[in-house]
Amino acid sequence: MTLIHVPRPPKSAYDPNRPVSALLKAQIDYLHHAARRLPLRYRSEIYVNAIKTEGEAARYIREVTQAIQDAHADAAAARIKAVPKRRKVIEIAAVADEGAERKRPSKKRAKKSSGKARRKK
Amino acid sequence: MATGLDKLQHIVVLMMENRSFDHMLGSLTAVNPKIDGVTPDLSNPDANGNPVKAQPLAEFQAQLQPDPDHHFPAVDLQIFGGDTSPTRVANMQGFVKSYFNQQRDLKHSQKIMYYFAQKDLPVLTTLALEFAVFNRWFASIPGPTICNRAFAHYGTSFGRVDMNLLYINEPFKSIYNRLIDATPKHTSKLYYYDTASSTMEITNLLQHQPELFGTYPQFLDDCAKGNLPDYSFVEPNYSDHETDSGEETANDQHPDHNVQHGEIFIASIYQAIKNSPLWPNTALLIVYDEHGGIYDHVVPPACPKDQFTASANDTGTGMPFAFDRLGVRVPAILVSPWIQKGTIVDRVFDHASIPATVTKFFLGDYSPRSPRETSADVFIEPNSGTVDPARNLLSLTTMRTDCPEFDV
Repeated sequence: MTLIHVPRPPKSAYDPNRPVSALLKAQIDYLHHAARRLPLRYRSEIYVNAIKTEGEAARYIREVTQAIQDAHADAAAARIKAVPKRRKVIEIAAVADEGAERKRPSKKRAKKSSGKARRKK
Repeated sequence: MATGLDKLQHIVVLMMENRSFDHMLGSLTAVNPKIDGVTPDLSNPDANGNPVKAQPLAEFQAQLQPDPDHHFPAVDLQIFGGDTSPTRVANMQGFVKSYFNQQRDLKHSQKIMYYFAQKDLPVLTTLALEFAVFNRWFASIPGPTICNRAFAHYGTSFGRVDMNLLYINEPFKSIYNRLIDATPKHTSKLYYYDTASSTMEITNLLQHQPELFGTYPQFLDDCAKGNLPDYSFVEPNYSDHETDSGEETANDQHPDHNVQHGEIFIASIYQAIKNSPLWPNTALLIVYDEHGGIYDHVVPPACPKDQFTASANDTGTGMPFAFDRLGVRVPAILVSPWIQKGTIVDRVFDHASIPATVTKFFLGDYSPRSPRETSADVFIEPNSGTVDPARNLLSLTTMRTDCPEFDV
C-alpha cells in the first residue's frame, strides 16, 4: 500500500473578496427564485443585486438554504403537533361510542343504528 | 465466477468543476500511451494564425483570469474553430481564439493550452492510473455548468443550453426521486459541502425535498458508520467563505479557485470511502461537469437527439441545437477495489450515463427516461441477468489490498 503525500496550498489561496463568478450568480438566482416562495418570515433581507464577492454570495446562499430547511422542518413539526389533537378527538369519539353501546336499550335498536353510522355523522 | 460487481451495493458520484481531460490528465500519455492525452504535435492557432503548443505549464491559481468563456457560442468556436458554414467539421482549433476574444491579449490567450504535469496532481493522476480512467467521457452539452449538471440529475436539460433557471418538465424524474419512489424503496442523498456552498442547479429539489440533502460532514459520518445510501451525489465547495468554525476555501477547482484544494477534497472523499466498512461494496465515480473553456484535443462525437431543441436565439450561434452532439471531453475515473489496476475505458460516455447507470443498476428497466439517457452507455453493468465480462469494470474476483492511501 503506497502512502501518497498531498501538498497543501498556501493560505493566500483563500479570498472571500474574489468577485462572484457566473456560476455563483446563477446559483444566487436559483436560490432567490426558491426564496420568493417561502413565507415572509423566512426570507433573507440581503439585496441580491448588491452581492459582489464570494463571501457575500456565501452569506446569502447560507441564509436561503437554511431558511428552506427551517421552513420544511417547522412545517413538519406543525404536522406532528396536529396529529395528537386528531387522536384525542378519535379517543373521545370512541369513548362516546362505548358509552352509547353501554346504554344500548335493546338488540332491535342497536341493529338500526350501528357505531359506524354514528361516527359518519 | 462471482466478481466485484456482485458485491456492489453503493454508487457515489463526485462532480467537480470546469476542467478538461487534457488539462488534468493529459500528462498521463507519457506514462501510458493508451491514455489519450497530450502529445507533442497538439496545437491551436492564435489570433494571428501562429500555432500554440499544449504545454505542461498549468498553475494552481491566478493563471486563468478571466474565467475562460464556456457558454454555448464560445464552445462552438472552440470546437469548430470559427467555421459557421453548414458543412463545417469539428476540429478543436478555436480554444486560443476564444480566450483571445475575452481580453485581446495574445500572450495571455496561450494559457488556455496549458496542462498540469503529473507531479502537480498526485491525487487525480494516481487514481487514474490505479483504477479505471475513461478516455471518452464528454460533457453532455457544448455549454456551461447548469445544463450539464442537469444531465447528471435528470438525463436531460429540458432543452436548456445556458445558465438560466431550469424548469423541470414532466415526465422525466430526477434519479433521486426515481430511487426513493421505487418499490422496493431505495435510498439516495445529495451531499452539498455546507449551507453556505449549498447545492448547484437542483434548487427545485432543495425547495421541495430538503430531506434528500446532507452535508459533507454528514457524508464523512455516513461513510464511517456504514450508512451510505444506495446512491450518493457529492458536491464540492463552490466559494471561499467564513463559517462558525473558521475559513472554508473553495475546492471545486473552478477557475480561479485553487486546484490543490480540489485535490485534497477528492482525496478526502476517496479516503472516507476506503476507510469505511462499505469499501468492498462501493464504487466512486469522479467526474467534471464540463471543460470550462480549457483546451482538449478530442472531437466530441455526434449522439442521438434529445426530445428538446434549443432555438437559434437560445444557443446564441444563429443555429438551433437538437442536443445531437456531446460537449468537450472531461476527466472521469471509476474507483473500486474490484477494478484492475491500469484499466482504460474507450467507450463513449456523457453525464446522462450517470442516471442511466444508477437506474439500470438499482431499478432495472425504467420508463420514462429522456432519449439521450436511454441511448447513453452505462459504466457499471446491471447486477441482474447476464453480464458481458468485457464490459464489467468491477471484474476482479479477489478484492485488491494494494490500493493507494493519501495523507489527508
